[in-house]
Amino acid sequence: ALCSRLSSIRAASSCTNGQTGCHFLSLANLFDRVIQHSARMHGISNDLHSEFELYFLPSKNQIGRVSRNCHTSTILTPNGKENAQRIAREELTEVILKLLVAWREPLWHFHQNMAQHREFNNFSSNKSLEMSEMVHELRRGVQKVVEKMQMLGVINSSLGNLGSPEALLASDRAEWRLMNDYDLLYCFRRDSNKIQNYLKILKCRIVPEHGC
Amino acid sequence: MGGCTHIHTRLHKISCLPSVEGFQLWIILMATSKNRQNLAVHYLISQIVLHFAATLGPHFTDCISRDQETFRCWWSPGSLQNLSSPGALRVFYLKKDSPTSEWKECPEYIHENRECFFDANHTSVWIPYCVQLRGQNVTYFNEDDCFTVENIVRPDPPVSLNWTLLNISPSGLNYDVLVSWKPPPSADVGVGWMRIEYEIQYRERNATNWEALEKQPHTQQTIYGLQIGKEYEVHIRSRMQAFVKFGEFSDSIFIEVTEIPSKDYTVPLTLVLIFGVVAVLTVIMLIVISQQQRIMMILLPPVPAPKIKGIDSELLKKGKLEELNFILNGGGVDGLPAYATDFYQEEPWVEFIEVDEEDAEGGDKEDNYNSDTQRLLGLPHRNIEGFSAISHPDDDSGRASCYDTDLPEHDTQRLMASLLPGQPEDNETCLDAPASETGEKPLIQTQIGGPQTWINTDLYAQVSNVMPSGGVVLSPGQQPKIQENTSGSERETQKGGKQNEDVEGIKEQKRNEPQFQLFVVVPEGGGYTAENNTQQTSTPPSTSVPGAGYQTIQPQPMETKPAATGDANESPYILPEPSQSQLFTPVADYTVVQELDTHRSLLLNPPPSQSPSLCQPQHPLKVPMPVGYVTPDLLGNLTP
Repeated sequence: ALCSRLSSIRAASSCTNGQTGCHFLSLANLFDRVIQHSARMHGISNDLHSEFELYFLPSKNQIGRVSRNCHTSTILTPNGKENAQRIAREELTEVILKLLVAWREPLWHFHQNMAQHREFNNFSSNKSLEMSEMVHELRRGVQKVVEKMQMLGVINSSLGNLGSPEALLASDRAEWRLMNDYDLLYCFRRDSNKIQNYLKILKCRIVPEHGC
Repeated sequence: MGGCTHIHTRLHKISCLPSVEGFQLWIILMATSKNRQNLAVHYLISQIVLHFAATLGPHFTDCISRDQETFRCWWSPGSLQNLSSPGALRVFYLKKDSPTSEWKECPEYIHENRECFFDANHTSVWIPYCVQLRGQNVTYFNEDDCFTVENIVRPDPPVSLNWTLLNISPSGLNYDVLVSWKPPPSADVGVGWMRIEYEIQYRERNATNWEALEKQPHTQQTIYGLQIGKEYEVHIRSRMQAFVKFGEFSDSIFIEVTEIPSKDYTVPLTLVLIFGVVAVLTVIMLIVISQQQRIMMILLPPVPAPKIKGIDSELLKKGKLEELNFILNGGGVDGLPAYATDFYQEEPWVEFIEVDEEDAEGGDKEDNYNSDTQRLLGLPHRNIEGFSAISHPDDDSGRASCYDTDLPEHDTQRLMASLLPGQPEDNETCLDAPASETGEKPLIQTQIGGPQTWINTDLYAQVSNVMPSGGVVLSPGQQPKIQENTSGSERETQKGGKQNEDVEGIKEQKRNEPQFQLFVVVPEGGGYTAENNTQQTSTPPSTSVPGAGYQTIQPQPMETKPAATGDANESPYILPEPSQSQLFTPVADYTVVQELDTHRSLLLNPPPSQSPSLCQPQHPLKVPMPVGYVTPDLLGNLTP
């Protein structure tokens, strides 16, 4: 299903150069698919987190403690609607990409841990695998969207945000290993919601006429 | 504030430290059910718990955000009444966006509701908040009162609900409805800040349970299978996608569809009838066209063409006479019973038409003869009929039982019997054996008795019928004629003609003496005996050709002799002896042409003297013959 979505994203970009309406329509379609993808990713993370919480049943509220341990806390993200709307498109896009890049490796390791731990049922194990794959697919999808936007001239092709995203993560490379599984799930749940929100805002800023 | 405080704030959570265990569990169970997740119920439950709880300090009851941009928190002073006055308790919150954040006081109080309102400037999403109540010197804080804004969002219900009828089922009992609405105005969906999904619930007017449809993010949804005549109540609630907290239900709308008068069914019925009739007609036409041949056979059966039994109609066409004769002679597989083959096998010049049982040719003649002889002789028709009947090898009454086609002798005898005037028709002498002499005798004897009546009979005998064996049957009341010789010679001389024609020619011949002799013309050869005069009864029964006194036109009467006879037996009968009374006593109206002289005049012989072979009865039959008289019709039959 993920591959089909990306291939459909590629297929959507088959307009000729002369038809701007077609281009924007295809961009809107691209956005829709990516947003749909992120929504699903967030749903899975939510399910996993709830399951984890049920299973471990933490005695007390972990919110205060956990929020400081998310390895993505260093990434500056808009925390409100006005902030998200005031920020430049390029910055917003960059934030999205940063988030996606930051979570690829930790989720993969998380899935490996899930597979080894027999306490979790297959349902959770499948979800963790799906989650880790989705992050990767979503990143590729968003990159396609960015390329489309750059082609259309919607955003400036400022190289800073699209340079090697992996380089941005270099400083954060070790931090995620300090998180336990529960914290990881909590943090990812939050970040997936951010990604979904930002993508939606971005779409409604760029192509608002196609369903916002 | 105790371990159960978080029940009020997070009723969806199961975790709870037991203080008032029974009620707490009950509250938990109630809280986890769907129908209880709204503010009013929260408050009610908290009040109940407060009522039953021994000590319960000030606490927050709930914090809710409606638009993810602002949120509110409500608190309760608890059982301690001295804190119920406004301002006694203060709300402080902590926003953990940095490690050095501090507790701050509620930016906006609404004391009437014991509510603290956080506006957009003080609201940050994805950042944990903690709230606490502070009294004079006491701080009431629970770690469970920390949250993030996106997790406490409960969107407002949609607005502007309405419904449209989609369709009604063919049975007229159910219908589908499309319900549409607008997203809550407080939720900024247009910017994409909130992604809401909706849940429709409906129920019948007086029912207690709601039917819930699947959650979906669009602003319209179809309800299927509502029943006509019933009133339904519909309301909708919303929540953030991938989150669990629902908002309040919208105001209910009511759907009702009453009986719609059914459309005129006559129009479809007439159409159906028309199509049905057209289809049936088409089918019938197809059947008729496909089965045309058979229907034509049934309606207009073909008229059978006349056929001769056993003969292919092809043979009757030109040029196939030989084959026809072959079949007629019995040579073919389906050959006819050949009565005449035995007689004429040695004579290739003999050609004859086989007379079938159903052949009407002889019958016609028979009728003619009958009528003629009747008129001439004044004999009862009966005899003639009987006689002619015998001649026919058919199953006419009066003789059929004794008839044997293979034995012409019998025929002869039978003929004899019937020829005798006055003989009853049923006087059938059934002749079992070929030996017929004995049988003949009585006939002859009886015959003798009758010659008296013949005195005034005609000079010649009329051939009334031709037998299948080839013999010619003379009609009664006439002088017996020796026909077969004549016929044989006639055939020889005149033509190789048909037997029947010979018979006619015989008419003009000199007739036999009016004897008792009944001569049946026999095509030469044996087969049957001709009854001749009494004196010749001793003659061998086979091949008896009554030749007494018959005359040929031929100037060479001797010709007939060899022609007619290959058989010695025949000679006495066949041979035309001029000395014989060739000319029988002719009747006044007739005469027989004896010969033609050189002047081409007809010589009519005087009545010949009786031949010794002839019977005495000849004499009485003598009649002066008019010499030189030939009737015109006879003239045509004369051939040189």
